[in-house]
Amino acid sequence: MNRITAIAWNTFREAVRNKILYSLLFFAVLLILSALAIGNLTLHEEVRTIRDVGLFGIDLFGVIIAIFVGVNLLYKELDLKTVYTILPKPLWRWEFVLGKWLGMLLTLAVQMAVMGLVLGAVLAAEGGRFDVPMVKAVGLLFVNVMVVTSIAVFFSAFSSPFLSGFFALGCFVVGRSVPDIRALAEKLGPVAKAVLNLFCNLVPNLHLFYPSGAIVGAEEVSVHRQFVGADYMLSATGYGVAYSIIVLVLAMLVFRKRDFV
Amino acid sequence: MTDIVLRADGLAKTFRLGLLRKRVEAVREASFEVRRGEIFGYLGPNGSGKTTTLKMLMGLVFPSRGRAEVLGRPVPNREAKRRLGYLPESPYFYEYLTPEEFLDLVGALCDVPRRERRKRARTLIARLGLDHAMGRPLRKFSKGMLQRIGIAQALMGDPELVVLDEPMTGLDPLGRKEIRDLMLELRREGRTVVYSTHILPDVEMTCDRVAMIFSGRVRSVGPLAELLTARLLSTEICFRHNVGRLPALPAGASLRQAPDGQTVDLPEAADVDAFLKAALAAGASVISITPRRESLEDLFVREAEEDKGAA
Repeated sequence: MNRITAIAWNTFREAVRNKILYSLLFFAVLLILSALAIGNLTLHEEVRTIRDVGLFGIDLFGVIIAIFVGVNLLYKELDLKTVYTILPKPLWRWEFVLGKWLGMLLTLAVQMAVMGLVLGAVLAAEGGRFDVPMVKAVGLLFVNVMVVTSIAVFFSAFSSPFLSGFFALGCFVVGRSVPDIRALAEKLGPVAKAVLNLFCNLVPNLHLFYPSGAIVGAEEVSVHRQFVGADYMLSATGYGVAYSIIVLVLAMLVFRKRDFV
Repeated sequence: MTDIVLRADGLAKTFRLGLLRKRVEAVREASFEVRRGEIFGYLGPNGSGKTTTLKMLMGLVFPSRGRAEVLGRPVPNREAKRRLGYLPESPYFYEYLTPEEFLDLVGALCDVPRRERRKRARTLIARLGLDHAMGRPLRKFSKGMLQRIGIAQALMGDPELVVLDEPMTGLDPLGRKEIRDLMLELRREGRTVVYSTHILPDVEMTCDRVAMIFSGRVRSVGPLAELLTARLLSTEICFRHNVGRLPALPAGASLRQAPDGQTVDLPEAADVDAFLKAALAAGASVISITPRRESLEDLFVREAEEDKGAA
């Protein structure tokens, strides 16, 4: 465990000392702050607008950071040859991958906490509150970036950052569109329907982590009114964790067999 | 406890490159053993397969054929890795870390307790003359300083076996001497050192035994002294000739002027006694008799030419 913690802590430290991440965080904070201005353009809907724009900002920048850092996570170690120094140490390759992933999650957690704090401050400035539905919404967005990070790490175990980024972004877009793809499948013939449904079962259903505005249990959920309950939070988080573990295990298997030339 | 700390038995590695999966045989056949407490040189020209062999021994590359054992265990093995230190060729480290942070990370990976890590890191930093750069990130280190921190990280786990891939590359003569001295010091401490290089004078100054690899095939393995004394190239007799005529030179011998007299180079050992007798009888006084044995460079060039001929 000590070795995994050491790799995770080093990954976090690398991110903290990476200026590009600060730039991304700066733009995320800027977007959340812009919600203040956008809110003021609306009539009595300032708090609602700030919540929507703020969550959108956390979601967007969380995913951008997850893909940007995730696809480089293993590739950079190979490209800079740092892996040649680390892997001959008494460390299993899977421990290395797990440590990198955990470090990445810690980085994302801190980034999202900062974005959440800024959003909370902006809401407070307009007389709103960062209430339980908002905490749940940010929590689900964190599970969302956890899944995206795992996918990015999986692709980075065997392909270049450009391709990994392309595939991870593709998975994100498709994953968010799973309900639409399923709706489309209903309108098609049995074979196409079966194929699309199989496809939807394989790609991550990322729509689960952005449920605001969706129908859950015959009711529309929203961070402004009635948000998802504890059972939904548990099942969505369980799904996200399970999906991440499966993808991460695949990444470990690919990494285990690699020659580091 | 076995006397053999590292064993390569018929190791081979074939890479498949490009879209057409072209076969590249990086290592064809590498077999050698390294004994406890010695400095073992792994010699070969650029691209001969030295680094690939070491990467196979370190578990970074999987062999296509053959087997390897490190500290009595088949590669890769975590227990063996715990007792092993490795410096890769042209090492790159986490450049945002300071030497102390980097060694602390390495220590944690080697399961060194936290308090001991700090102590060991400071001792190694001082031992390798890097204490002036304690707070500086590694990105600001020169090539020589990086090489030294690379050696420090290899020693962080207090290893029995230290494997260094091209440790002298890019170093100036002073830097090379420091690394040579350090290797000798490690041997004095009872550690085994294996290093790859193509810088032959360093090998002559440090190694007990060597293996030579050409075109991916290990050709000669053995104690340096044995490999070099096996062949007598010629005998040089330096003498001062004051009176009379010089004796006739045997076939193949050559004569040249030396600062304090003349030097005859006799390729055949059988001619030495007869020539000496004749020279003394002719009034010459002998200054020195030097058997010229094959140098490491001669051996290296001969092996390289034989390899070329075989290909």
